[in-house]
Amino acid sequence: MTDDELRAEVEAWLAEHWRGLPAHHESFGRDPRSAWLAEVRDAGWAVPRWPTDRWGRGLSNDQAKIVERAFAAAGAPGAGQDRTNLWANTALAHATEGFRGQIVPQLLAGEVGMCLLYSEPGAGSDLAAIRTRADKVDGGWRVTGQKVWTSGAAVADYGMLIARTDWDVPKHRGISFFFLPMKQPGVEVRPLRQITDEAHFSEVFITEAFVPDDHLLGPLNGGWGVLQTALAYERSVMGDAARGPRSGAGGPKGDYSLLGLAREAGRIDDPVVRQQVAQAIAWRALNRLNTARAKAELAQGTSSPIMSLGKLAMSRILHEEARVRTLLLGAESLLQGPDHPRAEDANFLTLNAYFTSIGGGTDQIQRNIIGERVLDLPREPEVDRTLPFREVRAG
Amino acid sequence: MTDTLLRPAPPAALTHEERSALIDSVRRLLADRCTEGDVRRIIDSDSGHDPALWRALVDLGIAGLTVPEAHGGAGLGATELELVMEEAGAVLLPAPLVSAAIAATLVPDLDGLATGERIAAVAFTGRHGWTGRDTVTVAGGRVTGTARFVADAAIADTILVAADEGVFAVEVADARITPLPVFDRTRRMADVAIDAPARQVADAGVIAKARDIGVVALAGEQAGGARRMLEMTVAYARDRHQFGRAIGSFQAIKHMAADLLLESESATSAARDAARQLADGSTTADAAVALAAFACADAFVRVAKDGIQMHGGIAFTWDHPAHLYLRRARSGAQLFGDSDRWRDRYLAALEAQA
Ligand SMILES: Cc1cc2nc3c(=O)[nH]c(=O)nc-3n(C[C@H](O)[C@H](O)[C@H](O)COP(=O)(O)OP(=O)(O)OC[C@H]3O[C@@H](n4cnc5c(N)ncnc54)[C@H](O)[C@@H]3O)c2cc1C
Repeated sequence: MTDDELRAEVEAWLAEHWRGLPAHHESFGRDPRSAWLAEVRDAGWAVPRWPTDRWGRGLSNDQAKIVERAFAAAGAPGAGQDRTNLWANTALAHATEGFRGQIVPQLLAGEVGMCLLYSEPGAGSDLAAIRTRADKVDGGWRVTGQKVWTSGAAVADYGMLIARTDWDVPKHRGISFFFLPMKQPGVEVRPLRQITDEAHFSEVFITEAFVPDDHLLGPLNGGWGVLQTALAYERSVMGDAARGPRSGAGGPKGDYSLLGLAREAGRIDDPVVRQQVAQAIAWRALNRLNTARAKAELAQGTSSPIMSLGKLAMSRILHEEARVRTLLLGAESLLQGPDHPRAEDANFLTLNAYFTSIGGGTDQIQRNIIGERVLDLPREPEVDRTLPFREVRAG
Repeated sequence: MTDTLLRPAPPAALTHEERSALIDSVRRLLADRCTEGDVRRIIDSDSGHDPALWRALVDLGIAGLTVPEAHGGAGLGATELELVMEEAGAVLLPAPLVSAAIAATLVPDLDGLATGERIAAVAFTGRHGWTGRDTVTVAGGRVTGTARFVADAAIADTILVAADEGVFAVEVADARITPLPVFDRTRRMADVAIDAPARQVADAGVIAKARDIGVVALAGEQAGGARRMLEMTVAYARDRHQFGRAIGSFQAIKHMAADLLLESESATSAARDAARQLADGSTTADAAVALAAFACADAFVRVAKDGIQMHGGIAFTWDHPAHLYLRRARSGAQLFGDSDRWRDRYLAALEAQA
């Protein structure tokens, strides 16, 4: 198929099917847009790069971009999840044939709510130190342990879980990766109040919860490798985009709204303000250019070191934009509440920037990863790396 | 592709493979003729110019890279220029390539430009002056006054004066050229006192575009310099051991390296995007050029400075190349105006778009 034929096909399909969506949706849980997403999936637009016998269309990266652009132009969501849907990509790569057939279509349509059961009270940056255990029983696994900071847990149907399945080998080698059904008696979710005064993340107490055999992803004790796939998708998504203002009052366009705000606040002619606004906008523009270049390099087959930089870049962008917003508002930023949407935004964005700079691996951990995996600098000495996990000191 | 660039219809866009071949041949030439030893020899010389190296660049088609084919050049565009400049920047090539690219835009048919027989230096004055120190005026059929900090003026055959009234060619015989004692001896500059007949060679309308080409060439040079300085630093951090460990295993060093990689890759992205937008005649090219100007200047200065810190004492020695990169970074960060000015123009360009 030529590019033009493809473009015509996707545009015609959108013209026939796309009718818009309800404006607002929550970022966690089942996706209220799932009826639409299912249509997109069934037409093969959700994952155009995947093969035709796997919900896709077997398109090249360039052709898939034509599809994504047509959807973006129409304002229609759901296309190009082969780049962005961390759950579906992880399941596609590592789930058993049977479970994959069941779960991937549901994930592509947002028909199931998902969460990430990685972090524990004793294992944050050092994820391989997890102590949640999965013990073999008839037909599956019994899981016991505690997870924390689990975004979306309260409305999740499944959690992507890492749990220890062998205690007698070094810490990275005794971990397995599961899809844990969340709606069962052994799973108790206790929401935590966040600094943003929201409660999107929770503690999850798991007591003898059951996971069927075919919900194991990848090899037994090979969970660390599966986790790397999932983390790579998560970090690349976090490097590309982040939540914007909660109120929507500061303008819809993230970076350019800084310019709008500077005008509104009557500060646009202040040379000091101009420098800071320009630099904040520039960080975001540079990250966009980096991402575009990384994708182009990947499409040409050369691996790109830039891909791993996005999340770290996004942390700086978010913290800096929030700081400049605050600067523009001055004393107004002391306020909160629905009558003060600009202050609400500045303050919310100041706090929510940590979602990106702590969640998904802190900035410090990202720097370690860039230093070691991209620049090939030697690792930190790690005293427990080769000990059987049972002998590792905790606390 | 051969080592001489013969291309149809200017400015031609090369295919990916042709472009790689071009860059390879530039890289080979520079590896051979512009080693650190060569750079040191050239910066220790009076003129700061190596005619034999210049000849080799001319033969490869680099000196006239953006001169249209009809006038004997390679007829290539900003995209290729930027990539070549990344290579030049990586090895601190001391050659008047930025000036040549600007001249080729100002006066594409200037005799001898493509063959390298004529070296043209460009004095930006008036609205496009960046030093704030020029006294050049055009009146009564004469160009008079002093243009300051003119790059490559001391080795030039012709000074192109970019003034608000137009572009004027001044032969060096009609100017008094005073070389300046510059901190970065890879980029020589001179003050040019002029009292000459006003021989106009182009309209003022072309000046902004020529300056943009110069900025993009410089941005490529800075991105290439930043990348090489970081490579050197990271290589050193792998080898050098203290406290029984490679210093690169200390997070204080490793984290600086990661941050510098972000700076240096962002500079490369910005320079290439600005080049592409100029080549495409994009309507947002103003913003892209301004972004590249400050992003690349700032990135190179930061990488060079932090790179010295990460090396420790060895990089404080004259014989270590690190300071040459810092000097180069600091001179580029002034040329065509400093980063604060470009940040302000970036915002102005975005305001105009909105
Ligand atoms: C908003 C939000 C949402 C989250 N959502 C989820 C989720 O859905 N699922 C999930 O599993 N987890 C989630 N997390 C948890 C997140 O992944 C962890 O908080 C993060 O990995 C850090 O772990 P920690 O909080 O235990 O901090 P620690 O690991 O204790 O780190 C504390 C400090 O020490 C530094 N540090 C630690 N180790 C090193 C090192 N080797 N080198 C240098 N510095 C180091 C860290 O950078 C940090 O500054 C979320 C976190 C946040 C903030």
